[in-house]
Amino acid sequence: MTQRAWQTRRIGTRVLHAVLVVFAATQLFPLAWVFVYSLQRSGDLFAGDLLRVPSDPQWNNYARAWVDGHVVRYGLNSLIVVVAATAASTALSFCMGYAIARMRWRLKRAAIAMIVVGMVVPIHATLLPNFLWYSRLGLIDTRLGLILPYVAFTLSFNTLIYAGHLRNLPVALEEAARLDGASWPRILWTIVAPLATPATVTVAVITFLTSWNEFIMANTYIASDELRTLPFSVIRFQGEYSGDYAAQFACMVIVAVPALVLYLWSSKHVMAGATAGAIKE
Amino acid sequence: MLPGLAVLAFSLVIPLGFSVYFSLTDSAGFGDYQSVGLDNYREIFTDDPVFWRSLRNVVLLIVVTIFVQNPIAFVLAAVLSRLSARASRLLRTAYFVPAVLSLVIVAKLWVDVFNPRFGVLDKLLRAVGLDAIAVSWLSDPRTAIAAVIWIIVWQGFGWALLFYYAALMTVPRELEDAAWVDGATGLALYRHVIIPYLAPVIAAVIVNDVITSMKQMELVYLTTAGGPGQLTQFLANYLYQKAFVAGEYGYGNALSVVFVAVSLVLTAVAVRGARVVAP
Repeated sequence: MTQRAWQTRRIGTRVLHAVLVVFAATQLFPLAWVFVYSLQRSGDLFAGDLLRVPSDPQWNNYARAWVDGHVVRYGLNSLIVVVAATAASTALSFCMGYAIARMRWRLKRAAIAMIVVGMVVPIHATLLPNFLWYSRLGLIDTRLGLILPYVAFTLSFNTLIYAGHLRNLPVALEEAARLDGASWPRILWTIVAPLATPATVTVAVITFLTSWNEFIMANTYIASDELRTLPFSVIRFQGEYSGDYAAQFACMVIVAVPALVLYLWSSKHVMAGATAGAIKE
Repeated sequence: MLPGLAVLAFSLVIPLGFSVYFSLTDSAGFGDYQSVGLDNYREIFTDDPVFWRSLRNVVLLIVVTIFVQNPIAFVLAAVLSRLSARASRLLRTAYFVPAVLSLVIVAKLWVDVFNPRFGVLDKLLRAVGLDAIAVSWLSDPRTAIAAVIWIIVWQGFGWALLFYYAALMTVPRELEDAAWVDGATGLALYRHVIIPYLAPVIAAVIVNDVITSMKQMELVYLTTAGGPGQLTQFLANYLYQKAFVAGEYGYGNALSVVFVAVSLVLTAVAVRGARVVAP
């Protein structure tokens, strides 16, 4: 290549790198803004400055957010519901993924069709009928009434992730165990499960994050304050405490942090696992 | 296997059956109701401009996602794939952060950014002398739908980038080297070698875009609630409002059934289209 062509290339690369950074800033700037505002006095928000890190950070905004946002109560509710849903969804989708990847049975095609429909149909189309159906069954305003749909709506994706992963594992070990007379549950638990750990991490983390962040079903199926989940801490600052902007920003930070930490901790493994399925098909 | 299917049936299949049943009534969600035959459906298709507006907005979102968000994500992913492992991981983490936040936070965040009194966007515009366009983004009829679509595309960007990055990582080294030897460099390499190679993946991502666009509701519910004047209404939010705010439970269910049908049809169209592009 000529000298000139090289130079154009270099400039091109610089521009592309600059674009990368600009986009990263667009993705992160609003969050930085929320954090900075969470440390200001509510009155200062209306000042002309664009983004001024306050000289006297108002950490007590966080104290008010913590108390007025009912963070402890809502957070515990979230934890109970989300852990139960994650455990159930992971266990069920593991079995279903195994059945699809390894076994031959009648109605398998129909079952797969149902799983795919489960991925396509938006949850919002089930909000109205489920509301009535759950109220007849007495599930409205109970934790189970949230756990069940959270399991149902993460099951399809999780099953496909497991099925894709299990299909790539060697069958030899399982066959050897079966010849030795091991039962199905035993084979699943002692041989297949350990080999499926990467898929399990992916499935569990994604189910956890999805349910942790879920809002509209919790908004529809839960009426009483005692059972609300963590996203509602932020909502509280729209009504009763709507003037307290600074505490509202602090509350957003409090709610975001657990999800961010889980993501940063697990991102390397999880994201690879989550995309593997889509890429292969 | 069975318990899993049972849960799916319990929370998905049975409710859809309920939905069809109630869509044929004038139920308000409680108390007595009467069968009204197909009246609700007739009204949706012939006498409900909001329904058509919602449908148009969904299609608009799909178009913006596929033709604006996806190409940008692809280009950035391509640049990322040529950076050092460390820089690339750092940037990818940054891009994906919005995708792990609760929709409640994302919605609230942008409502505040777009706020005309203390929002950072209008402060910025005023600082550079563009007072004239410092509007109330989410409630101004001229900008509301663009603002809502911006929020949705912003949050979904991380996923699009992640998919394309993962796809680019699967391109075999030998393929690139061979193309290089043949004289394909820079853009030509992408146009004639990499993009054709990845066509099936791109098709899959686009199908996923359609499904995801249909599922947008919370961000609308939490930012504009469909306003001003139903301009930013989306199907999923509209049926919710009809049933729980307007008290027209039967009508809401009819919308819900139409919504499922539209989702399945659009997905099928996307899958079919994907097959044509990437057989």
